[in-house]
Parts: sequence; structure tokens; C-alpha cells
Amino acid sequence: MFIEKYGKYLLLLPGLIIIVFFLILPLILIVIVSFMQIFTFREPTLTLQNYIDFVASPQTPTILLNTFGMSIGTALLTLLAGYPAAYVLAFKIESIKIRNYIISLLLVPFFIDWNARTIAWIPILGESGAVNYMLQALNIVREPVQLLFSRWTLLIIWLQTNILFAIFPIYLALIRIDPDLINAARVLKAPPHRVFYNIIFKLSLPGVVVGFTFVFVNTLGDYITPALWAGGIQVLGLSISSFAANFVWPYAATQSTILILIALAVLFVLFKIVDIKKLVE
Amino acid sequence: MAGIVEIKRLVKRYKGNVLALKGIDLEIYRDEFFVLMGPSGCGKSTLLKTIAGILDYDDGELYINGKDMKNVPAYKRDISLMLENYALFPHMNVFDNVAFGLRMLDKDEEEIKKDVMETLALLELKGLEKRFPNEISGGQRQRVALARALVIRPSVLLLDEPLSHIDYRLQRRFASLLKDIHRQISGTAFILTTHDQHHGLSLADRMAIMNSGLIEQVGHPEEIYNEPHTLFSARFVGEVNTFMGEIQEVGADSVWVKTDIGYLKSRKPNAADNLVGRRVGYIIRPEKIKISKTGENAENSVKCIFEYLNYFGHYVEAIFRAPHNVRIKSTIPTYNLPNFKVEDEYWLSWSANDARTIIKPSVVEGVDIEDLIYGR
Ligand SMILES: Nc1ncnc2c1ncn2[C@@H]1O[C@H](COP(=O)(O)OP(=O)(O)OP(=O)(O)O)[C@@H](O)[C@H]1O
Ligand SMILES: [Mg+2]
Repeated sequence: MFIEKYGKYLLLLPGLIIIVFFLILPLILIVIVSFMQIFTFREPTLTLQNYIDFVASPQTPTILLNTFGMSIGTALLTLLAGYPAAYVLAFKIESIKIRNYIISLLLVPFFIDWNARTIAWIPILGESGAVNYMLQALNIVREPVQLLFSRWTLLIIWLQTNILFAIFPIYLALIRIDPDLINAARVLKAPPHRVFYNIIFKLSLPGVVVGFTFVFVNTLGDYITPALWAGGIQVLGLSISSFAANFVWPYAATQSTILILIALAVLFVLFKIVDIKKLVE
Repeated sequence: MAGIVEIKRLVKRYKGNVLALKGIDLEIYRDEFFVLMGPSGCGKSTLLKTIAGILDYDDGELYINGKDMKNVPAYKRDISLMLENYALFPHMNVFDNVAFGLRMLDKDEEEIKKDVMETLALLELKGLEKRFPNEISGGQRQRVALARALVIRPSVLLLDEPLSHIDYRLQRRFASLLKDIHRQISGTAFILTTHDQHHGLSLADRMAIMNSGLIEQVGHPEEIYNEPHTLFSARFVGEVNTFMGEIQEVGADSVWVKTDIGYLKSRKPNAADNLVGRRVGYIIRPEKIKISKTGENAENSVKCIFEYLNYFGHYVEAIFRAPHNVRIKSTIPTYNLPNFKVEDEYWLSWSANDARTIIKPSVVEGVDIEDLIYGR
């Protein structure tokens, strides 16, 4: 009886256990720790002091702006660069075989060790790197320009490492569009740019939203790339890791909680604007 | 009178060398309800999509309102198309779906609202404006698709299988609705495809029978029914008894054909000379056959054994076995139904004037007459 009725839910159990133990519980712990004065679970004293400190800190506005500005900026730029690629892949390349080749090629960087991939930026963007060589050879600049160690470096690197996360969901959304919807729009007097905006773009919005979420969350969580390449700009992840490294767990937890809350708020607003439920059905 | 749509030797080749249209000639007139009928895969949708401009054609000519359509994109053609799978925009509600074409024409929103509501009322869709395509029934979806195509008031309205995918009663209602709408709005040609001969015959002012990328015959339904040019047309329009035979004798206006069930006489085919010895299809429509116990003095009489009845309400189909196990069917109005006995002998007879001898199996080359008749 019991098994018959609820047996199918048993299949959810392994996944549920993993999610609860490795995601929900740690999150709850982080939130609890964020209210502690001293990191201890024996008679802990809970207080709002960490949050007050965070809000009061003169660095906070810069850090928040850097963190979310860079992540949202990267996400938008990546979508802007990824959309045409996904579009070409979905609509202009008819042979499935060639499409698959291109997709495998796009995956190649992921087979390369992260460190090697990172170091490769030096011969590309460095003072005697490829880009500077080209700029000088073309007489665009006389002295090598500083391309490394600025927020632009971070943007370029994040763009490169994240673009697939934008291309893929958009591509998947685009190939799901029934070609007859496009045909119907054409017959109903829509010129090409209005077919694109009213049908193709709007129906690909779920992919765009997913792509944004991927890149946004990916870059928010990445503090190593900013530490290595951004020339010292402060982001929240970096701050969290340095407090954690110095065993100031409660304050690190406070910053983490705030990071998660703002991230959720951004995604919430995004999902509100783009009625994803309507689009997915 | 020049046709509103003129098609000359139109050829369409899909990728992979699929020749879907092999040289279509058609002329369709203003105010006409034109039906394209043919079996699945014969190229009906391809032809409509080519007229609409969704597909390019490879050869031939296409004129709409006298204008050459080569290189004219779909959105600049004075046509509208209701696609076979409706293709309603899933992210728009019913109102926005129907309003789409008008918005693309940059009509003002007041006018759009008026036109859309009028069309929705016409198609009994009032009250559904705010629903999305996945929130309405199949029949309603179909009417929304029609409304969306109709509301922009094109000179040519193309309807690809608008009567498929719904239950029979709904089909009947939708068919009469289509006919009503066509009568109400003037200056518009309707071109409808179907593989259902009942709808085809009942809706059409004129019709074309299509077969693997070619037109078998164009004409009024009655004309095709009574004077089919090919065996394919004869068998695609209405029920028919077909006997394989060979012409034995040619008279002034009749021929004698040797078939498995005996020598049968029919009207002489139009086709010229050298009739004797030709392998032909001899056809007789089931409603032209008289049944009797004694065998009257008819021009054609065949002694048969009664097998069974197929009941269709207002008429029945009686199935008989002729010599050599050839089946013959005859339709009889139900009110007039005699009391047949299974395995009893009857005489089936008909006049030569009602029968036809058809020489050409099909306009498609390489179709063997025997293959066609025996369904190989
Ligand atoms: N995109 C395509 N690529 C290659 N061949 C195609 C394509 N679309 C249709 N065909 C082929 O062209 C021929 C005509 O197809 P079409 O869809 O016009 O037939 P139809 O008469 O509309 O059939 P149905 O009654 O089943 O809708 C078929 O042989 C079909 O297999
Ligand atoms: Mg079709």
C-alpha cells in the first residue's frame, strides 16, 4: 500500500539526500554562522553586528559595485557576443555534422588545464604579447599598452571562459523553435527584422535567461581570476576568501549570505521581467 | 479573365534531389474556392508554400495579381496561409496571434481591435482572447489559425489541410463555416488542400487532382467525377468499380472491352485511333449499377453472387462476387433496399453510357495500368 502510493518518490531520495546534505544544510549553517560574534556552536551569541559592520564599512559600496557590476556586465557582454554565434549555428549552418564539429571545437578549451589556460593570457595580452605586437605592427600604438591587470582584462578573460555557457542555452532554445512559426510570421507580413524580434528572439528568451544565470553565477563565484588578473580590484568573493583564510568565519559567512541574497534578488527580478514560465510551456 | 494566381510549369526541388513539384500548370480565379486534392506526399503543402513564398521555386513561373513573384519575399505577397500544423505563436494569446498580421501591416491599434474582434466573432471564438494556444482545444486552435490568416484580408487565402486532425462532426461544421466565409467576403480566392474526397468534392468550385508532383486533372468536381481523364483521377474522386481489360471492338460511339467478367460495352474514349488491342481500365460508378434477379435486357449484365452489405445510414454498399473472384460494389439508397440473401445469384447491369473506358493510368510516367488497378 505505502510502497504503491509513495514508491515513485523513493527514486527522488538519492538526489534529495545529496541536495539536503551538500547544499541546503551548509547554506543554513552559513546563515547561522553569519550571526555569530565568535565562531562556536557551544552557546553561541547571535548578533546583527556583522551585518552592521558590513553596511557601515566604507569599502562596501565599491566592493558591491565591482562584484555585481563586473558579473552583470560580463553576463550581458557574453550574451551579446554569444547570441550571434548561437544564431549562426542554429539557422545558418544546415549540416548537423558541421554543427557538431563546431560545437566540439568550442569545447576544446575545456580539455586544457585551468592553469595553463590562465597563463596563456600572458603571451596574448602581455606587453610583448600577440595583441600588442599586432597593434604596434599596424602602427596603431607606438608603445605597448597595458592590457593585463585591469578590469578590462578580467572582462576579456571572463568573456572567453564563459561564452560557451551563453552560446549553448541560446542555441538549444533556437533549435527548438518550430520553423513553421517563422514561416507563419513571414506569411503574416512580417519583414525579416520583425520576424527576428517578435518570434525568434522572444522564443529564445528562456535560453538567454539561462545563459545569463550561468555566466552571472559563474563569475560571482570566481574570485581567483579577479585576484590574478584584475589588478587589485576588490570583489566580494575575494574578500570572503581572505576573511575565511584568516579564520574570521562569521564575517566571511555574513558576506556570503549577502552575496547569495543579492544574487537571488537579481535573478528574481530577471525572472519577473522575462515571464519564463509562459515561455517554457 | 486572367487568373489571380497563375502557375506555369512550376518546379520545386528539395535538397537531396527530391523533386516535389514536377511542372505544375494552374490558373485560379478571383472569388473561386479551389481545392487541391491528392494523396499524402503528392506535393500539396509544397505547392501552397511555394505560392506563399515560404519556399523558392527552381523553375517555371508564378504570378499573383498579374505580378511575377520570382524574388518577391513572402511578406510582400498579397496572400495568407493557414499552415497544416496551425503554427500558432505559443508566446502570444489568441488576440495577439490574430492581431499579428495587422500589426505587421502597421494598422492603428483601434482598427486592429475592431477587425480582430469581428473575425473572432465570425469564427465563434469570442471570450478566448486572453487564452494562450496551449489553453484552448484543438478545434479552437484551428479556428484561431484560420482567423489569423483571414483577418489580413488577402486576395488569396491558402488553407493547408484545414479539415484534418479534428473529429468528423467538427470537420463538417468547419467545412460549412469555410464555405459561408468564402461567400461572405468577395474578391478573395480560397485554395484549400485535402486528401479527403468528401470535403474536396463538396467545397470546391473547381478542383485539381494532384499525384506525385503533377496535376492529373483540373475541373469542376462533377466534371472530374463523370469524365475522369486518367484512372488515377477516377479512383481518387468518389467510389468506382475498375476492371482491367483490353479493347476488342470499336463502334461509332462505343467500345467493347474484354475483361475478366466478360465483354463489357462503354462509351468510346475521346482518345484518337488505334484503340483496338489497348490495355485499359473499364470503370463503372457503384450508383449506376442496377440489381435484379432475372437479368434485364441491359447493355452490360454480369451474373454475380451476393456477399455482404456495408451500411452507411442513408445508403448501403452491396458487395458482389463476379466470375474470377472479381468484386463489384453497388450503392443503393437505404429506403429502397431489397432483401438480399447471402450466396444468392443476382444480375448486375448498367448502360454503356454510364461506363467509361480509360486509357491513361496517370499523367505520371511509368505507372503501369495493371499495377494501379490491382493496387500494387
Ligand atoms: N523539407 C523537405 N526536404 C525534402 N523533401 C521534402 C521536404 N518537405 C517535403 N518533402 C517531400 O516532398 C514531397 C511532397 O511533400 P508535401 O509535404 O508537399 O506533401 P503533401 O501533399 O502536403 O502531403 P500530406 O498530405 O501528407 O501533407 C514528399 O515526397 C516529401 O517527402
Ligand atoms: Mg501537406
